[in-house]
Amino acid sequence: VPLTVPTASNLSLLAKYRPLDGTWDELVAPDGTARPHAQRTCALLNAVAATEFARFQSLAELSLYNQGVTFSVYSDQRGTEKIFPLCLVPRVLGAREWARTEQGLIQRVHALNLFLDDIYGEQRILSEGRLPADLILGARSYHPKLRHLAAPGGVRIPIAGIDLIRGPSGELRVLEDNVRTPSGVSYVVENRRVTKRIFQHSIEMAGVRPVEQYPIELARTLRALSPVDPDDAHTVLLTPGSYNSAYFEHTFLARHMGVELVEASDLYVERDTVYVRTTHGPKRVDVIYRRIDDAYLDPEFFRPDSMLGVPGLMGAWVRGRVALANAPGNGCADDKAVYPFVPDMIRFYLGEEPLLPQVDTFVCARSDDLAFVVEHLEELVVKSVDEAGGYGMLMGPQSTAAERAEYRERILSSPRKYIAQRRIELSTCPTWDPAHNELQPRRIDLRPYVLTRPDGTWVLPGGLTRVALVPGSYVVNSSQGGGSKDTWVLREPDRTGA
Amino acid sequence: MISRVADHCFWFGRYVERAESTARLLQATRTLVFDADLPVTQCWQPLVIVSGEYPSFCERFGAEAVGDGERVQEYLTWSPGGVSLVASVRAARECARVIRDVLSHDAWEAINELFHFLDDGVSPKLYRENREGFYRRMRNGTQLTLGLVRSTMLHDEPMSFLWLGAMIERAGQVARLLDMHHHTIAQEGAQLGASAQTHDIVKVALWLSLLRASSGVEAFMKMHQGRVSAQSLITFLLLEQSFPRSLRYCLRSACAILRDIWPPLSGSASEHSSQTRLAALLAWLEAQTFDGADIHALLTHVVDETAAVCTLVSTEIQGPPRPPATAPHAPAPQS
Repeated sequence: VPLTVPTASNLSLLAKYRPLDGTWDELVAPDGTARPHAQRTCALLNAVAATEFARFQSLAELSLYNQGVTFSVYSDQRGTEKIFPLCLVPRVLGAREWARTEQGLIQRVHALNLFLDDIYGEQRILSEGRLPADLILGARSYHPKLRHLAAPGGVRIPIAGIDLIRGPSGELRVLEDNVRTPSGVSYVVENRRVTKRIFQHSIEMAGVRPVEQYPIELARTLRALSPVDPDDAHTVLLTPGSYNSAYFEHTFLARHMGVELVEASDLYVERDTVYVRTTHGPKRVDVIYRRIDDAYLDPEFFRPDSMLGVPGLMGAWVRGRVALANAPGNGCADDKAVYPFVPDMIRFYLGEEPLLPQVDTFVCARSDDLAFVVEHLEELVVKSVDEAGGYGMLMGPQSTAAERAEYRERILSSPRKYIAQRRIELSTCPTWDPAHNELQPRRIDLRPYVLTRPDGTWVLPGGLTRVALVPGSYVVNSSQGGGSKDTWVLREPDRTGA
Repeated sequence: MISRVADHCFWFGRYVERAESTARLLQATRTLVFDADLPVTQCWQPLVIVSGEYPSFCERFGAEAVGDGERVQEYLTWSPGGVSLVASVRAARECARVIRDVLSHDAWEAINELFHFLDDGVSPKLYRENREGFYRRMRNGTQLTLGLVRSTMLHDEPMSFLWLGAMIERAGQVARLLDMHHHTIAQEGAQLGASAQTHDIVKVALWLSLLRASSGVEAFMKMHQGRVSAQSLITFLLLEQSFPRSLRYCLRSACAILRDIWPPLSGSASEHSSQTRLAALLAWLEAQTFDGADIHALLTHVVDETAAVCTLVSTEIQGPPRPPATAPHAPAPQS
């Protein structure tokens, strides 16, 4: 049912839209027709006139602003709050494709969990020569002190965020694993809330799988880790505080799970038991969903120089008295230099072929790769292995000679710190361009969220679609001009089976 | 509940109430200037004094500026620090961010919108073009926030601390409000009992402005049918049990909340607890007679005692000092 009838002077949204050459578009085929799985969505979009869409966009942004759905920008000392811009044109994934992707994600996270158990256990994968030992054991993210310690609850990666991208061939592949404290899921739920308010009818018509149950699934996952009876488990969410860039998300998850949001100073440890300071005296804590880095968990364990953290927390964890999600020490599984070996991990631990392909990667720690990388910087994207958020990155094809010279120096002086990949022509999705009041192709990625309990795995349908709002940009990070989209995973395969 | 969060709930309640009270006082004083044939300095100076901003105001603008109503309004509305409206709303919203997980969505949205309204370009325009409308908007925003707190949050500990903060702040504000014009009240007090009830127009205008500043005109008139005197006014604002902005009402509410949070049998209600101290203040207040009393001394005592209670509450919020003995260790699982 059209919302309004477009007139000649007020063309429908997709009428003039054409994908970029050599780039896959999520909704529209090169000839300008809707892709099979997106036909219903495109028809619904076409029923909206551009002027009306512009009004919807500003309504959506105002709603996010008033509700404080914001993130803080690091570069600003006072912590300016910005909304994470939301483009109301959804990204749509067909039911079949999603089912395959889900299996691939489960397989990958399973292998990464086994890898961490092994690395902090027998280290079979190293002793059998399947992975270069120095690459792991020499990494800053590997904590030798944690060796031979079982994680309370038995799952080291209860919460994972796996970044996927789609190249020109149309196949989704893994770009990056996040198995420490992946963020962004609150925007998935909030984006859906806003989109639903504005396009309720469209969402019903398109048959979109819901995402609102994430906090409930997360609470269940956290309880399952508890060292005491899960029904009596006292779970808290540990935040670095209200100036952290992801503070909105911390409050969002705490509210929607109904657990308390604590800061490190609210907690203390006595005789290996963690307590929270309350108005009625101390209360025992069994599960901590921590949104702070390993280094700030426990000054006694990780950083004697640090004043931050909860002294004794790691002692309690080591003795199985409190569960931490995710487990400390996970950094060596999502290290960008370890990423190229994940397919080998899947083969080694599961005896299976990886279901999801990934991006070919040059590991500068290997001398052949290093030689190639420094000679071909212009064609490559160089990433620092221990930085995130789109920082510490060289986009070779868009770089200046001076930038390349600087990176060449840096790479040669500490090769272990860098990897390089060929630039992928990230797929695009029609995206609202407020400057021209029309839809333009903008590049996107996808971060699905995978929750693992001892008795099973649950994948949030879809995930966070981030979009590079700057024309021509490949960087989707919120800190660098990125926005987001609602991700629609369809319930039913369409007639063509997409 | 978590001590730090309780503390922020308490302060959130205080800041929101304070913002409302500042807007209310500014509005009432603006009306007073029109109604009472008083030198403007006598209208605005007391406001600066009771807000505790007199020294910093004089330092910045000179003592004679306290007669400049525009200057005073500007200062008490926009100055980034102190008790100004903007500072109180900002501080309230900062607290709200910290206690975001215990506030209801509706209450959060109300204070967040008010904060954004002040931070955006719209509010100075409204301030310039429609001053009454501006203060009304501020009061509506703060009242909406507190109203939503009561009507959309669980009535359990977080709300108790929040409301405790609001009640203690309100008690302090009532005391300061009366103190603002205690001179005229004291003069009248000395004449009490004298046959002449011919209050000059100035005094009546002043008293009405005090009632307006506490939204008490109608309530007062319902009880006194237009008979305005210093004695009835003071008795009303200090002791009227059924008026939610009287000092007694606020102190009683605060006492009840404290008893609710820490039941007297829990052991925390010691001789030096906030509860005991507040109950003593209430009993003392209820025993006062106001004919010929030194109103200023009485109000000063109230302000000092509520401040002392606040300090005690902040300490008690941290919980009993010792953690309980823990159970013997379970054998540690090791891989």
